[in-house]
Amino acid sequence: MATLHVLSHSPFTDSRLSSCLRVLGSEDAILLCGDATYALRADTATAQTLSAKTGGLKLFVLDEDATARHIALPDWAEGVDYAGFVALSVHYDKVNTWL
Amino acid sequence: MKFAIALHSPAHAPSSRRALLFAKAALAQGHEIVRLFFYQDGVHSASGNVVSPQDESDTAAQWRDFVTTHQLDGVVCIAAALRRGVLNAEEAERYSRPAANLPAPWELSGLGQLHDAVQAADRLICFGGP
Repeated sequence: MATLHVLSHSPFTDSRLSSCLRVLGSEDAILLCGDATYALRADTATAQTLSAKTGGLKLFVLDEDATARHIALPDWAEGVDYAGFVALSVHYDKVNTWL
Repeated sequence: MKFAIALHSPAHAPSSRRALLFAKAALAQGHEIVRLFFYQDGVHSASGNVVSPQDESDTAAQWRDFVTTHQLDGVVCIAAALRRGVLNAEEAERYSRPAANLPAPWELSGLGQLHDAVQAADRLICFGGP
């Protein structure tokens, strides 16, 4: 069952993102929002980890949260607005928020 | 598609605003929201006594307007609300508290309402944290 994993905590303060990557299924995707978008900051270990998985990993980012933090999206991440967020939650069978 | 939305964070958390914008986008696309369930610190979003600084957006008021305008089922977890001092008139009287601060359109009810919403909905979307 394909799951959309939604993260909003910074990857530099806890292990949610690394735990998520460990349990991520082959059909799953990740949506980064809020402080979780810091995972895409250039030249960080998290960005390198994510970019190394780009072959199989589908990674979405809430555009306005990345913009608010002045984070440029790499070409392996896809920005979405709220309409896109809703569309993703329809496309995937389940939405799991890492509260 | 039918959505159930659970909110775990107070109105001053960015995730509360994110939940509100998601809910608005869902309705704009013609989806249905079967219930909004305010749980844990999310109950603060339903308090009628939240006063936001003038230069900040008032997310609690926006939730109230949104639920009223679209006549949605806005349920506030009663156990979480009592613990945090969010009471309607009936509970204020029951526990001899000086004031009620849960205005319309909110309803106090139990966690069973979240379970019921999940059964009725195609998707449960939770919002919480930062």
